[in-house]
Amino acid sequence: MAGNPGDPQPPDDKSAVPDPPPPTKPRVKTFSCPSCGASITLKYPGASMSIVCDSCSSIIDVSNPNYTILTEYFRKVDLYTPNIPLGSRGKLRGKTFEVIGFMVRSDVASKYYWMEYLLFNPYYGYRWLTQDKGNFTLVNTIKRKPEIKQTTMGFKSFEFASLEYKGEKKFRLYNKGKARVDFVIGEFYWRVAVGSEVLMADYIEPPEMLSMEKDDTEVVWSLAEHIDPKEIEEAFKVKGMLPQSVVIGAIEPSAATANWKKIWVIWVLFLVFLTCTQYFFVATAKNEMATQYIGNFVPNTKVNDITVPVFNMEKNSANVLINLQAPVNNSWFYVSGELVNNTDGTSYPFEMTSEFYSGTDSDGYWSEGSSSKDLEISAVPGGQYYLNIDTESGDFKDVSQKQFTLSVRRDVPSYANYWWFAFFLSIVPLWCWALMRRDEVARWANSDYSPYITADS
Amino acid sequence: MLTLSCPSCGANVEFKSKASVYAVCSFCKSCLVRQDMDLEKIGTVADLLDDLTPIQIGTSGMFSNEKFEVIGRLKVGYADGFWNEWFTMFGDGKVGWLAEAQGFYALCFPFFEVQVPSKASLFPGKTVDLGSKGIFEIEDLRPVKCLFSEGELPFNAVQGRESTSVDLTGFEDEMATIEYAANETRMFLGAYKDFDDFQFKNLRHIDGW
Repeated sequence: MAGNPGDPQPPDDKSAVPDPPPPTKPRVKTFSCPSCGASITLKYPGASMSIVCDSCSSIIDVSNPNYTILTEYFRKVDLYTPNIPLGSRGKLRGKTFEVIGFMVRSDVASKYYWMEYLLFNPYYGYRWLTQDKGNFTLVNTIKRKPEIKQTTMGFKSFEFASLEYKGEKKFRLYNKGKARVDFVIGEFYWRVAVGSEVLMADYIEPPEMLSMEKDDTEVVWSLAEHIDPKEIEEAFKVKGMLPQSVVIGAIEPSAATANWKKIWVIWVLFLVFLTCTQYFFVATAKNEMATQYIGNFVPNTKVNDITVPVFNMEKNSANVLINLQAPVNNSWFYVSGELVNNTDGTSYPFEMTSEFYSGTDSDGYWSEGSSSKDLEISAVPGGQYYLNIDTESGDFKDVSQKQFTLSVRRDVPSYANYWWFAFFLSIVPLWCWALMRRDEVARWANSDYSPYITADS
Repeated sequence: MLTLSCPSCGANVEFKSKASVYAVCSFCKSCLVRQDMDLEKIGTVADLLDDLTPIQIGTSGMFSNEKFEVIGRLKVGYADGFWNEWFTMFGDGKVGWLAEAQGFYALCFPFFEVQVPSKASLFPGKTVDLGSKGIFEIEDLRPVKCLFSEGELPFNAVQGRESTSVDLTGFEDEMATIEYAANETRMFLGAYKDFDDFQFKNLRHIDGW
């Protein structure tokens, strides 16, 4: 294969390099199965330690030329068929690998099973390709042992594995259990045994996963990365032969989560900025009384064409708050009118009602409304203004003459704009959050350690 | 470089490193021990039956921006496998070992900074303080046997030579190894690197790849 590290290279600048030894002997070894006698071809003697007989499924120790039987079977066991045939070669992430072994493993407690392809390149060593339903990961054994730690987030404590490699990376516990080898074919770099069990734990930080496997003699850690099935189909020329992913994989990257991670900081910064701005406006609002008008009225009648005399409001555009106070008690008082600019006649119509009702029923005392009513008119330019109003009232029992008060305040603190801004600019972030949450909840649905489910549920 | 002739077949036997005291005649496979300018044959190395390694005597590579050349090999086996330790020499005469197993490669150098702990005190999972190099953890401890040797080596590596090998891992890609042999104990410190980082040249060509 072109481009492999072992290809002859142009001579080095120093001619002292010794001549290469003669070409190696053919690599492949063929022998008879000590169990059934069928011919077995070992492709990588000197690297492989065990091989599964194609005909009888016995596992043979090939670590030395005695070829002893590790596990004996008497018939071909065809429980599973690999989607990528043994012997396939493909270039994954820049390196050529050959599929030399295939095994199916399952969780002892839940019987949940997955498939693993053993990949080999004599220069780069071994990799694993795991197939969990339609989701694939490319796995590499690592020498460094990550640290397992416990941490608390909110009220929940969870376990994570921390890998200190070019900065610390935290992987959250996703799965823990016992994995059992259910089925094997091909050749392996250790003495593989159907039925053998290891303790295992997976820790995720999409798109990567740290996995620990532990037996009586050793602890092995590996680092897996998510790999798109299309990349595998292309590399091994198995187009359309791999199962399709139906749910998000344990370490499959989610576009929604990536978006959320980008957007939430901006969102929080924006809310902080908006809140600061609002505080500034509230603190600097002049909040001054422009005029106060006290009028008389006879309850349950209409009074038209009251004019509140001209008053001054300072220059610059600012809001105006009109407050109506009326002695309502199980009655209502209504004002309609307009705020008119004395210079250019611009008018701002308004209407407002002060009403208050109370009583007792089977639930006890109740009340609704208030004798005081506010109404805000925004962005009113400065100048001379007067008010034209009509009033009307009803439901008064006591019909003796009464007074109402109309106050006009200029440049009062207002929260309406603040809430509207916050609301509109939160729609997109909240939508992103919902999409992120949907993906993450689905990702953790296969885990006993989901951060999205409370401990007691 | 010292060139002597094989007392068994007369072929040239090269000693590139002053540290080498043992060599295998590339022609007749005699195991030769050097005493100054004299070579004494102490045995013969049987051919390796199955050998799938990308490294060979004469392979060169880079480590920490220094070029090295592979001049000798020790292949050791244990109950569940084997690995190769390639004796390497750098341009300035410094020697080191390139450990190679199942696609993992590490280069290490003799380390004298701390006293080697006693073998009996060690077990997998135990941590060992390597002074300024930090705390290392013992990954495994296994009795090994020399399966094969070729080229030149700094000790007698006859087939069947027994020792105990202890692998330790440190921070990031650091590693250390201790070898307890019959009459000497040696400690090495180095680092794992990706195959491509070594920029190997003159690799062995593997049939079909």
